[in-house]
Amino acid sequence: MKCESCNKRHATVHLTEINGNEKRERHLCEECAQSLNNPLVKMPTPADILSSLINQVAPEIGEMSKTACPACGLSYLEFRSKGRLGCPMDYTAFKKGLVPLLEKMHGASQHIGKVPSRAGKELVVKNEVLQLRKELDKAVEKEDYEKAAKIRDRIFELSASEDKKDEGTLQQNG
Amino acid sequence: MNYPPAKTKKMRELYSKTGEWLRGTGPESDIVISTRIRLARNLANFPFLHRATEGQRKEVEKLVREKLKEATLTRDLHYVKLSEVSSVDRLCLMERRLISREHAGGDGERGVAFGKSETISVMVNEEDHLRIQVIRSGFELRDAWKTIDEIDNTLEEKLHYAFSPRFGYLTACPTNVGTGMRASVMMHLPALGLAHHIEKVFNAVGKLGLVVRGIYGEGTQALGDLFQISNQFTLGKSEVEILEIMEGVIPRIAGYERMARKALITENKEQLEDRVWRSYGMLKVARMLSSEEAMHLLSQVRMGVNLGLINDVSMETLNELFVLTLPAHLQKLEGKEMEASERNVIRASYVRKRLGAFQ
Repeated sequence: MKCESCNKRHATVHLTEINGNEKRERHLCEECAQSLNNPLVKMPTPADILSSLINQVAPEIGEMSKTACPACGLSYLEFRSKGRLGCPMDYTAFKKGLVPLLEKMHGASQHIGKVPSRAGKELVVKNEVLQLRKELDKAVEKEDYEKAAKIRDRIFELSASEDKKDEGTLQQNG
Repeated sequence: MNYPPAKTKKMRELYSKTGEWLRGTGPESDIVISTRIRLARNLANFPFLHRATEGQRKEVEKLVREKLKEATLTRDLHYVKLSEVSSVDRLCLMERRLISREHAGGDGERGVAFGKSETISVMVNEEDHLRIQVIRSGFELRDAWKTIDEIDNTLEEKLHYAFSPRFGYLTACPTNVGTGMRASVMMHLPALGLAHHIEKVFNAVGKLGLVVRGIYGEGTQALGDLFQISNQFTLGKSEVEILEIMEGVIPRIAGYERMARKALITENKEQLEDRVWRSYGMLKVARMLSSEEAMHLLSQVRMGVNLGLINDVSMETLNELFVLTLPAHLQKLEGKEMEASERNVIRASYVRKRLGAFQ
């Protein structure tokens, strides 16, 4: 079938227009269809196709696509294409996109382990408690109740010292 | 072209001996050649390296270099600016595992600090601002961790690390974030290779969150039956937890290798002896040796020594030959740039000399 507009090229776009009771079929080639200015026949650009694909595979990218780090200027899309972050601030700026990514990569998104002493004693304790909770689960799973009780006591001890400190600061503040 | 002799005293000293991690001592050293732990650290107030300007890179390099000197990690810490040494010197540092392949080939302001015994090294401006590394001979995870933890604490007092309570130590690549720790154990597994069991081992190891790589890191080939087994995940587990997993797995793989060796001896002793002695013979008489062939033959001889079949060559000599017969070291030895074919001649001659063979 030839395009009804230019009568030269092959018609590849077939439109059905309904105006009231009137139904009209049009057969056009791609170029003539594009010039129609009908939003329906506008061909998606490769970038559009790509972003719709990305939306299916990794929905957070669509949401994050307009985000850029205020400190180093790296955009989230640049990060995803290169795989490298631009500065320490990116972890905060891209948190929403990073958390699912880290879950996929490491099976976790919460750091457990060494804490620089600069970061404060509370954090050191908090991480130790997190670590102990994991060990507690393991001990219970293995039905090693003696060990579990010891770990539980240590968790209480650590939490208690934290509470006391909180009270202390409250009193000071009060 | 003749290479100018190494410009710095440090680089000259480097060629006069090899690192302590090649001594062939320590637990499980018949199978575990060395244990390495590295920590990735970044400075809080600078962009990560690939996004830093030339000026910022210089600033980071200068700052870290000065703090490293102040920190006096060991009595004899050398610092080498990589922009000031030749490309062969950089490759040598890589062959000795003091720097990574990426660090050897990169550009811009960067350097490496290392102790005389070559057990400690700190790469400056690699992918991260700091890559601290400790290498030990044999299977010494705890010992290596203790050392690197102390170094890290010392440096932390002087440098402001990028750290978040949620994500841990922040790194340029999210695959390193959290502990920033990669622990790897270099294992010599010839019998598992011969018995075609090696893939099974690797599959099992993968399920435990460990990965197997060639000896010079990611994407490199496993030459001479040498494999590096390391942790894959760095987030969600503490350093000690990660080390505990490895402490459970590595001795089992070593045990599996010993079993495979025993099976080879009981089932087919003549064939195994023939293989080992032929390899030894080849090394002693060959007039040309490619790097791959040398690695392969050294691997067989190393197994022969472990099994008590050969007893006139030391483990240290064999471990050293694995490194000293690599291309950059050979060129350094001869003091000139050489084509592969010329290197093969020099390599064969050097191996004959070291094995005390008839010249």
